[in-house]
Order: sequence, then C-alpha cells, then structure tokens
Amino acid sequence: MLGQVLFSGLALGSIYGLVALGFVVIFKATEVFNFAQGMLVVCGAFFAYTGIMLLGLPFPMTIVFIVLAAAILGAFIHAFLIQPLAGRSMLSIIMVTIALSIVIRAVLEITYGPQGKTLQTPLPTGIFLVGDLRISQLHLTAALVSWSCMAMFGAFFKFTSVGLLMRATADSHEAAVVSGININVMNRLAWAIGSVLAAVGGLFLGQLQLASTELESIGLLALPAVVIGGMQSIPGAIIGGLLVGLIEQLSATYISPKSSDIFIYVLLMLILMVRPWGLFGQQELGRV
Amino acid sequence: MSTSIVPLQKSNLGLKIIQWGTILAILAYVPIILTDRAIFGIRLSNMQLLNLGLTQINLMLIAMLGALSLNFLTGSAGLISIGHAAFYAVGAMTGAVVGTQLGAPFVLVLLAAAITGALVGVLAGLPSLRVRGLYFVLSTMAVHYIVVFVFSEYQYKFFDVVGVPFNEAQIAGFAFSTPIRWYFFLIATVMAVYFGFKHILNTREGRAMMAMRDQELAATSAGIDVRILRLKAFALSSAVASVAGVLYAYYLTNVTAEFFNIQFAIQFIAMIIIGGMGSLGGSLIGAAIWLLLPSIITGFASQAGVTTGIVQRMLVDNKPQLVQLIFGLLVIILLIFAPGGISGLIKQVRLRWAALWGRS
Amino acid sequence: MNHVLNIEHLSVSYARKGLALEDIHLQVPKGKIVALLGANGAGKTTMIRAISGLLSLHHGQITQGQIHFDGQLINSVPAHRLVRQGMAQVPEGRLIFKQLSVLDNLLVGAAILPRAQVADRLEAVYHLFPRLLERKTQSAGWLSGGEQQMLALGRALIAKPQLLLVDELSLGLAPLIVEAIYKQLVVVGETLGTSMLIVEQNARIALEFADTAYILDRGRIAFNGTADEVKNSDLIKDSYLGTRQTQGTTS
Repeated sequence: MLGQVLFSGLALGSIYGLVALGFVVIFKATEVFNFAQGMLVVCGAFFAYTGIMLLGLPFPMTIVFIVLAAAILGAFIHAFLIQPLAGRSMLSIIMVTIALSIVIRAVLEITYGPQGKTLQTPLPTGIFLVGDLRISQLHLTAALVSWSCMAMFGAFFKFTSVGLLMRATADSHEAAVVSGININVMNRLAWAIGSVLAAVGGLFLGQLQLASTELESIGLLALPAVVIGGMQSIPGAIIGGLLVGLIEQLSATYISPKSSDIFIYVLLMLILMVRPWGLFGQQELGRV
Repeated sequence: MSTSIVPLQKSNLGLKIIQWGTILAILAYVPIILTDRAIFGIRLSNMQLLNLGLTQINLMLIAMLGALSLNFLTGSAGLISIGHAAFYAVGAMTGAVVGTQLGAPFVLVLLAAAITGALVGVLAGLPSLRVRGLYFVLSTMAVHYIVVFVFSEYQYKFFDVVGVPFNEAQIAGFAFSTPIRWYFFLIATVMAVYFGFKHILNTREGRAMMAMRDQELAATSAGIDVRILRLKAFALSSAVASVAGVLYAYYLTNVTAEFFNIQFAIQFIAMIIIGGMGSLGGSLIGAAIWLLLPSIITGFASQAGVTTGIVQRMLVDNKPQLVQLIFGLLVIILLIFAPGGISGLIKQVRLRWAALWGRS
Repeated sequence: MNHVLNIEHLSVSYARKGLALEDIHLQVPKGKIVALLGANGAGKTTMIRAISGLLSLHHGQITQGQIHFDGQLINSVPAHRLVRQGMAQVPEGRLIFKQLSVLDNLLVGAAILPRAQVADRLEAVYHLFPRLLERKTQSAGWLSGGEQQMLALGRALIAKPQLLLVDELSLGLAPLIVEAIYKQLVVVGETLGTSMLIVEQNARIALEFADTAYILDRGRIAFNGTADEVKNSDLIKDSYLGTRQTQGTTS
C-alpha cells in the first residue's frame, strides 16, 4: 500500500513539478509571480478537450494544438498584460495576473459551460501489477512525459543559442540589453514556455480528473511547490513539486482527503518563516 | 460620499451641512424606496430600480466593510493580502461558537469576532517580520487555506454538510427581523468604520503607515518601529473583516466552508483596485460596482428583448460568469491605463474642472 | 565622412535630474581611439547611454541634436539593434552574467555571429586575454575585477564591432592590469580596425593610449584636441582634470 501511495505521490508530483517549472521560467525571466499559472493548467485541459472532442483531431495533432495554443496564449499575455506594466509596483503586477485568472475562468465557463468535461484521450488508463503494487498506467505515463518535458527544456536552456540568451536575460536584464539581446522577445518566449508547461500538466490532470475550472486549485499547488523548493531554482521547483505530490497523496490516504491542503500550506508557512529562500534556493540579501 | 475637495473656507461650513443633510436624507429614504418600490408615491419598475432589492444593498454594505478593511491594509499600509476570505471565516466561526453554540447576545458576538479577528490578524501578520512582498502574499495564501480548513473541520464536527446556522441578530430586544432594520444598522456600521479609518490615517501612526508603504527605509529612519506598525495594521484590518464576516453569516443565517474560497478573497482585491487603492471612498465605489454589475447586466438583457445564441448565453445563462469577466477586465484595464482606479479618475476630472473654471 | 561616430548639437535631459548634456559635438574617426574625460557627474556616462540607446532605460531622452553611426542616424534605434549594426559596449560596472560561465558569457556576445565564425572568434578573444581561457568553465561571478573587465571586453569584441564604447574601464582595478588591458585594446584597434570611445576618470592612462580627447565639464565640451595637446597642457589638466598627475581614483 505504502509503495503505491509513494508512487502516485511521485507521479502527481512530477506533474506539479512540470507546472512549477513553467512558473519558475516565467519568474526568472520577468520577475512576475504568475498567479494565473493555475488557470493556464486549466486552459491546457480545455485545449485538450477542444482538440479531441470538438475538433476531432487525432491525438498527436491534439498535442500540437495544445502546445501551439498555449504558446500563443502565453505570448499574448506577456505582450498585452505584462509588458505594458513593466516597472510598475509588485502589487499591480500580481493583481494583473490575479485578474487574468478571473478573466480566463469566466471565458472558459462561458465558452464551455460551468460543468466539467470528461477527456477521452488514447492515454493508457489501465493498471499493471508489479508484484503487490498496482501501478496506474496513466500516472506512469504522466510522470514519464513530465520528466521528458523537463529534460527537453533543460536541454533547450543549456544547449541552444536561444536558451543561452534566455538564461543570460534571467541573470541580468541590463547586461542582456547591453549585449544586444532583445529583452522583450526573450520574455515573451519565457511566458510561452511557461504556459506550455502548465498546459501539458493540464492535459494530464484533466485526464486524471475532469477538464474543469476546479483544476485551478490543483494547479495553484505549484506556488507552494516553488516556494518550498526555492523560487529561483529550477531543480528546487521540481523537487518542490515532488514533495507536494508526496505530501498530498500520503495525507489523503492515511489521514483524510481534505487534509492535504493543510499539510502543504503549513509547510509553506514554516518555510517562509524559517528558510524563505526555499530548500534549494540561495539566500540573497535584500531579495526577501 | 464626498471627502474634502478644496481647502475649507469659512463659507463652506454651511455648504457642508447642506451636503451632509442631503446625503443623510437620501440614505434614509433609499430603503423605503426599495421596499415600497416607489418614490414619493410614484411606482417604479424593476428596471428603474436597477433590479436592486434591499437584500443586495445590505450585502453591498457588508462587502464595503471588507473592502474598507482590505484597502486599509493594502492601500494604506502597503501589505498585500489574499487572505481576506479567511478573516470573514474567522468572524463567522466565532459567531457560530459564541452566538449559536453558547447563545451569547449579539453585541458580545460582534465583540468576540473583532477580538478573534485581531488575534488571528496578528498571527497572520507575523510572517511580515520575516519576509516581504511576494513571499508575504504567499503567507497570506497559506493563512487562507489553513483557516478555511479549520472552519471546514469545525463545520463537519459540530454541524453538517448543510452548513453552520446562525440565530437571529438582535440588540437589546430589538430584533433585526427585516431588511430595513439591517440596513440602518449596516449604514451606521459602514459610516463608523469609514470615518474611523479616515481618522486613524490622519493620526501620526496612520501617516507613518502610509510612509511605510511608500518608503520603508525612510520610515524606519524616522524612528518608527515598522514591524509593530505592520502588526497593528493587520490586527485592525482583520478585526473589521472578521466583523464583516460575522455580519455576513448572521445575515445569510447559514454559511458553509465553500463560501470562503480564494475567489471570494480575490473579489475584494478587485474591488479596491477598481475603486482606487489607498482611497477609502474608492473602496465604497468598488463594492458598489461589484453589487451593481449583475443588476445592470440583467437590465441590459431584458432591454435587448428576445436574444439568441451567444448573446443569450452570455447575458442570461452565464450571467455570473459575465460579471466576473467584466470585473476582471475592468481591473486589468484600470491597472494599465488608470492605476488610481475610479477614485483616481474622479480626482483628475475634479482637477481639470477646477482648472477650467479658474481659481481667483 | 570617415567618422564612425558623428555627434552634432546633442542635448540630453533626464526626467528627474534635468539637463545633463548641452550642445555636444563629438567625432570618432574610423580606427581611432577617442578618450572622453571629465570629473564625476560631468555627463560621461550619459553620453555613452545616448549613443548606445540605453537612455530610456534610465528615464532620459535626447532633446536636441543628432547621432550618426557609420553614416546612419541612430537617435531612436533600440539598443539591441545597434549591437547588430556593429556597436558594442562595456558599461560601467562591467555587467557580466555572473551566474553563467566565462565561455557562456562570450557565447552570448557571439550570438549575432554566423555559426561558422564562432570558434575562430572565440580563439581570437582567448588569444587576446589568455586568462579567460584558463577560467573558461568558471562562473563569471567568481572572477577577479580585472578578469571580469577582460570578460566584458571579450564579450563586446567577439563580434568584431565597428565601434567599441567603454565606460570606466579602470574603476577598481590595479594600474598594472589597466595598462595591460589598454595595450590589448590598442592591438585590437590595429588588427581589426575597431574604433573606440573610452570614458575614463583616470585621465593619465587614457591619454597614454588615446589618439584624441574630449573633456566634459558639467554637461558641455570644455576642450577637445589630440591626446598630446591635453597631456602637455598643464593648464587644461589643472582646470578640468583635477591634478597634474592624475593617478587612479580622482575627485
């Protein structure tokens, strides 16, 4: 039993890690705390629904559709909401992402109706037995895909020219401008990537549950994940995600389904009080 | 409600009395209009009354308390918080324990709610001693989830899924049995809170709070203990929000944990941004808009007559979603183009007006 | 005109600080090194920002005049575009990417080059500043001040710019290292034909290596001439540059 819970915790944690990674990419690039990341996860689920059920696309095409739609949405958000507010107070920028989440939620509910929609993807939903353990194939697939995505983006950042320029921009905006980097393009790219990562997470969460705006609160778990792991740290975000997934599953199984929230958020509070830069972050003077 | 526009001159005192007299008279007559659905005997249609009933006005008044307290915290003291729904929950829970379970009189319930709210507020504000800005917002998010969890556990332990019930509110035998009675009580409360905050912001400590918001280093070097000030601001703001919560609970006579979700907390932030952060009058405007939007849309829908397709879906079937959509867009547009909110715009219009008329 | 940089009637103003530069005329001839000297606050950094398109970042704007780079008017060309057009800069404080390796820092500068040229140019920079080769995998934040300066220069030079702008190269560095770096810059000028505009508070060392010099005094050009003219005029040095033997840190 414990093995199973650990496995599903890690599997879900991988999805959270993916969403958290998207969040950190956005944060490192534009220093924006994207409260709408949870809704971008929901968008992913609905893009999947649209692709499969409404447009009748074959599954591979649906994936392409989800990625493109999310990328465009992310770039759009940066161009029209984030860039105009560059240099404004933190409250304004946080508020704009919160307001964005309100707007996206409303648009989704108006377009698709307030009920959740079931996703019917060809993703495997069976179970296979490993000794005593019943491993959910969907969980396994979700974990594998999440890790592949993370690896892919890791490689992108480390080995491509554009990835290098994005890392440079995240390191120092001013140095980037001085070096001839077009900051706005880099930031837009970061938002596109962050949205795509969230959307992929949404695809799996949508298949695991439903495509519905209720997924937002699950998507928002990326926020404590990121803080626990370390806001500016990519490995931190991923490990934070895994931790949150584990805590969620362990508390849901052994204590009660509703108790997971409180463990996660109490841990968040503890980290904020004791080690605000996260488990893997680095203490930076004046940041906190 | 107007705050002073021009420097006071002696001849303005008479003008102010007339202004206030009129405002009070209107405020007193409004509930009568809404209950009778007529003004001075002339019948008014639902449309003309913007589809408003006294219930909605009362809910708006309670929301005003929430907006004012959040504005005090965020707009004046500079602490961003998305935990406001949690403080409503604290108030409701206190009301349930002290009022429903222990049967204490209403006044005591309100007092208890204020005190509990202040205490929880101080606790919630403690992280501000350690972290700032972004991280602090997250701590308020954690506070939200923790408090709502506690409320949920409380609800299921002592009551059931239907919700937590509340007795009828009454003060010294005078029962709040009709919306009109609630109305006058709430108007008095809102005015007390509004002028209370206004007064506080004019004291030395209040101005220190605003200095703290703008330039923390400068405030500290001026000898003000910023940390204690922050906790005080949090305590006061949470106390008022908690009272709003218990009033809300008593008005609805039944609440469940689901009421106090993050979306609810976000409504208040939207209200103060639309109204104008740092402006108390703005909070009132923000809460009023939050109230009026659904009614205006319903009015729109019925005016448009027979509607089909998308329009029908948006205006009628999905009205709450449309309200949220407009609300969110309004926040975004104001943030980008008019960061001072509606009260900021009014101020600009007034300045232009004064300039236009010339000043002798 | 064989000026790579031609500034006429330039006036610059900041939103909060007011007028910073007034009616500036300045030319950088092709292949020459021009020194821009003056006391703290005279407006030297403002000049660099105006040329390289960074004014708006600091709430400033050009209120009058024209800047021509290689014959083209560049008053309102954004900074990143200027880099592509062949203008590189090393700002005050170096501004390297502290968390990236030395190699990555250089590769950022090389991003505008065609793939095929990158390896050769990298080698050229390593040849110029061998210390960078030694430290190529190290995090740039760990380098010494002199090495960071070399890195910033390397990043700027790797794409073979037509014009190099350097702001306060000597700040915080030992005189020996500064001299060594300047010598390398002269080599670059001779081999690649790069023109340079050097902003310096340390007038003595700048004059040793520059061809011509301009002296800024409170937003206006107080003097311009060949470096020799300035070096040999005690009057000029006293009036505008602090003391006779300006050495390291000045006013």
